[in-house]
Amino acid sequence: MEEKNDLEELQKKSEEYLNGWKRSQADFINYKKDEIKRFEEILKFGNEVLIREILPVLDSLNLAKEVPIKRQLEDILRKNGVEEIVVKIGDQFDPKFHEAIVEVEDDLTLKSGQVAEEVEKGYTLHGKLIRPAKIKCQK
Amino acid sequence: MSKIIGIDLGTTNSAVAVIEGGQPKVLENAEGNRTTPSIVAISKVGERLVGQLAKRQSVTNPKNTIFSVKRLIGRKFTDPEVGHDKNWLPYETKTSVSGGVEVKMGEKYYSPEEISAMILSKIKADVEAKLGDKVEEAVITVPAYFDDSQRQATKNAGEIAGLKVRRILNEPTAAALAYGFNKQKNEKIVVYDFGGGTFDVSVLEVADNTVEVKATGGDTHLGGDDFDKKINEYLVGEYKKQEGIDISKDPLALQRLKETAERAKHELSTSLETEINLPYITSDANGPKHLLIKLSRSKLEDLVREYIDRSIDIMKKVIKDANFQISDVQEVILVGGQTRMPAIQEAVKKAFGGKEPHKGINPDEVVAIGAAVQAGILQGDVKDVLLLDVTPLSLGIETLGGVFTRLIEKNTTVPTAKTQVFSTAADNQTSVEIHILQGEREMASDNKTLARFILDGVPPASRGTPQIEVSFDIDANGILNVSAKDKSSGKSQSVKIEATSALSKEEVEKLRQDAVAHAAEDKKKKELVEVRNLAENLIYVSEKALKDHADKVSPELKSSIEEKISKLKSVKDGSDAEAIKSATSELSSEIQKIAGQAQQSGQEPPK
Repeated sequence: MEEKNDLEELQKKSEEYLNGWKRSQADFINYKKDEIKRFEEILKFGNEVLIREILPVLDSLNLAKEVPIKRQLEDILRKNGVEEIVVKIGDQFDPKFHEAIVEVEDDLTLKSGQVAEEVEKGYTLHGKLIRPAKIKCQK
Repeated sequence: MSKIIGIDLGTTNSAVAVIEGGQPKVLENAEGNRTTPSIVAISKVGERLVGQLAKRQSVTNPKNTIFSVKRLIGRKFTDPEVGHDKNWLPYETKTSVSGGVEVKMGEKYYSPEEISAMILSKIKADVEAKLGDKVEEAVITVPAYFDDSQRQATKNAGEIAGLKVRRILNEPTAAALAYGFNKQKNEKIVVYDFGGGTFDVSVLEVADNTVEVKATGGDTHLGGDDFDKKINEYLVGEYKKQEGIDISKDPLALQRLKETAERAKHELSTSLETEINLPYITSDANGPKHLLIKLSRSKLEDLVREYIDRSIDIMKKVIKDANFQISDVQEVILVGGQTRMPAIQEAVKKAFGGKEPHKGINPDEVVAIGAAVQAGILQGDVKDVLLLDVTPLSLGIETLGGVFTRLIEKNTTVPTAKTQVFSTAADNQTSVEIHILQGEREMASDNKTLARFILDGVPPASRGTPQIEVSFDIDANGILNVSAKDKSSGKSQSVKIEATSALSKEEVEKLRQDAVAHAAEDKKKKELVEVRNLAENLIYVSEKALKDHADKVSPELKSSIEEKISKLKSVKDGSDAEAIKSATSELSSEIQKIAGQAQQSGQEPPK
């Protein structure tokens, strides 16, 4: 009777251990897959932090109307997957791409909720928003 | 079985984590961020927005953008707290039929539970997308001071979002779980949580795997945002002094200033000074104006000193309320992004008589991580997890010139095995000594010897030819097996070392710090040995080449090479690495000429 119990106990244990082993093996394989994905992401978005830091320089060049230098920088960014978000006055405000910083009522031809002015350009990196365009929104 | 997720449902931001492969992991939301603003809105076009999107439109839509709803959840409309908060919250509130609070968003009134549920729904959906699996259960954290009604309301929010709430967990308890302190016996823990908008202190006591909250306190209207405000005010004031222009009325300039100031605040946690640089911030009759202000860490500390002092006073009072002495407290945990500020870490440390607070886990994520740990315990994940040790110190052997060559680096998870091929240092060497060491120093003699053995019977050959394969294998119990095998003869020898982990925690720490303290001189020593080894090898090769090509090398070249060899021999045992290097490179360029002459001599016999 006791032997049978021992055997059951051992069987239970060996099953538990085997399952634990399988689980950790599966975890490892999945981890490797994740790692490959993560690596691809890093390749694609590894520049994101740096680009975010550079964007204010581009803003300054925009404000300074330094067209040739600005073009040069824009060109580099474009080659690295950065796209400018195109915003026109009268576009519908879209929080997916725009951030409203103030409401205005200067232009009465505009409807409420439309973009009245773009004050800072927004950008995407390989399609992912890295900075929303800052806009003034019609009240 | 689907995973239970751990959610930190915060006043300003929320985060979510799960256990993966036995480890808690914070998950990014759909926008790619690790935290989600706890904000819900109905946009002007009637669309419901949650998180970052809701935040981006908040200025255009303040009446329909609900934030800080955690301040209202589960409270009576007549609560003094609600009375205070509803005065500054821009959205409308009213009393519900049952005496609770309702907030207006769009055309409708909602309970705070329903608003929180919208945040939880987004989190749930984003996690499901990320994991590719359904999520049905969650652990949600709440402040330790939440009463039954607030806890129940938070639970309801989870259920509305379609989550079975397995546990409502105290935030400070979650932080303690994240650091694994639930396993400690009879410990007293203080959690100092300085978030974006609230400051909380909790005193916990751990006994028999349960964590009990002994006292709580804080200031529900003190947070990192106050720091940002102070910096902004200071910068606006400084700019006015510098240029005589007041930019506080210019929303555009303020917006840029706010973002830059926040970045500067973060920077000052790691550097001592930063520059707030905003070209074209404004303009006057003379054209565009720029803003350039230097901000030092000490200036920032001056600006916010009162807040830090207040938080420390509150903390001391809470410890007293728990009937504890400062000296009773064994662990201090820092939570909340603002605790990255060195001045806060210092102030807390000072308050505890120099005791270093725990800050190893990202303070924005530690609560979510703790919630995931709790979720893992409920799921059974953590209980069954295999505890694997790491090697506390590096393991390796002594190689040419007394250098310690690591085979297994410190902090490698065991069981593990590593193999590397070595060779002989002299011609016709028939035995090699395998000297096994443990430690972090570069030279073998500075490390601890674990064992030595000799592998003999290596067939005679010129130096560097035999291939001796050395294998290190540590099993799960920390037992190290070292074997060496000569590949040509197949002869092998091995040793088993039981006591690789016999060192105490303090000894390991001492050895590690020793290595850090001696890092620079050790590196020099090792470099010297390496250039010396190179020099010796070159001398060997050169002498051999002269012998092998004796008939093809001109007498001039021969004597020149011999001269260079003897010069290198004379400097190689000195301690001037540069001299050895230059003598080595002189010999090296000279010796290459042999190849030229040997080739020529192939075409015409030497004269």
